[in-house]
Amino acid sequence: MINVIEDFVRRFNAEIRLDETLLVKKGNSYFLLNDTLKRLVAKDFFYAGLYLGKSKKDRFFPSFNLLRIIAESKANKVVVDRKTEWLFICGRDIFKRGIKKVVGSKNRGSYTLILNMKSECLGYGKILHNLDKPGKGVVIKNILDIGDFLRRESK
Amino acid sequence: MFGKEFFAARYAALGWKYEDVTPEQAIRINTMNCDEEKVVRRLEALGIELEKIPFLEHGYWVSHSNFSLGATSEYLLGLYSIQEAAAQIPTTLFTELKDKIVLDACAAPGGKTVQLADSMGNTGAVIALDVKKQRLTALTNHLERCRVKNTIVYYLDARQASKLKLKFDRILLDVPCSGNFSTDKDWFKKRTIKDVERNAKLQREILAEATKILKDNGEIVYATCSLEPEENELNVNWAIENLNLKVAKTSCYGERAATEIFGKRLDGQIENCRRIWPGKTQGFFVCKLVKS
Repeated sequence: MINVIEDFVRRFNAEIRLDETLLVKKGNSYFLLNDTLKRLVAKDFFYAGLYLGKSKKDRFFPSFNLLRIIAESKANKVVVDRKTEWLFICGRDIFKRGIKKVVGSKNRGSYTLILNMKSECLGYGKILHNLDKPGKGVVIKNILDIGDFLRRESK
Repeated sequence: MFGKEFFAARYAALGWKYEDVTPEQAIRINTMNCDEEKVVRRLEALGIELEKIPFLEHGYWVSHSNFSLGATSEYLLGLYSIQEAAAQIPTTLFTELKDKIVLDACAAPGGKTVQLADSMGNTGAVIALDVKKQRLTALTNHLERCRVKNTIVYYLDARQASKLKLKFDRILLDVPCSGNFSTDKDWFKKRTIKDVERNAKLQREILAEATKILKDNGEIVYATCSLEPEENELNVNWAIENLNLKVAKTSCYGERAATEIFGKRLDGQIENCRRIWPGKTQGFFVCKLVKS
């Protein structure tokens, strides 16, 4: 069960430690409990503890909780300015001029977390053009951002 | 028996003159995720004008904002919740919540569930129930956004909570109710006294179930956003008479509830309940119940 999550985390050149004895899978969704919740939870729960994400047709869709946990570790990260933060949470891709700092991989094809200037995780994306090379235009494709909470409500 | 005149006459008999009001928007800072002062400063830097709510520890009225408070990064990061001021009161009535096992029996959409988790510092456990499956999605989105990690959610009717085979230290009964006109402009067109009586019956059933699963030294907070005494004072009076509960003294915002309703004399403990008539907040009723 933990492999699905670990494989996803490795995309960011990161490693996190999750206590497998506290991981539970309900349908396609993964949850991380603590000792108290593990003692109390019944098998027909709807949601429990920290939601980590869900798998669907061999793809893993992370929760923002998991992205935040990854962001606390050594991982690929891009810090963006305030204007880019706003555009990103509106679902837009990232232009090079909006990037303030890059940690970890700058290479095309890498996955990276997107942080604001306060190091808060806003989501993640995929690098489309090497970040250490000169250029303009979109350099990171938005894959998931916290504006998703609003988009879910309107569905 | 329905309509504005009918209900306004009842409110007058309870000592309140009907007036059309619009409650002010309010937020609550999720202190488990942030430093409150820093978040207030961040919001003020965005041009949002906040006014501390005097009777709440972490609540602010929003005096002015040029944009939706539900669309800021700070909201989406779970640093605050949009929660009406009176609705922030029930959770504050519990004594000591840290490490407790708490039931939120009618939890969706989850504003108070998150507030419970916040007050508990994500310790202990909140067991959150709701009987409407489509509302559970709103609840779980709320939990994820606000980084709550001490909660288990079940799709379960509060009247069947004993199926969980757990005993609780604290139980929040923010029961389904008839609501009130201040948050629903069509309220007077939609509601009849029959609806009120039907809700009151459901609420008594929930109260009875909650009493069964409350630990001996536990606490129940009972709350509605209804103005109708059948769902409030009269139900609590029924709980005193039938469930061996007593009403604990509280010092929260609101008027002392009346001990005489439409000519019927109620138990004197009812005055420990608090009734909030609509104004800057919505209408509300809240009390804390303990076993006798």
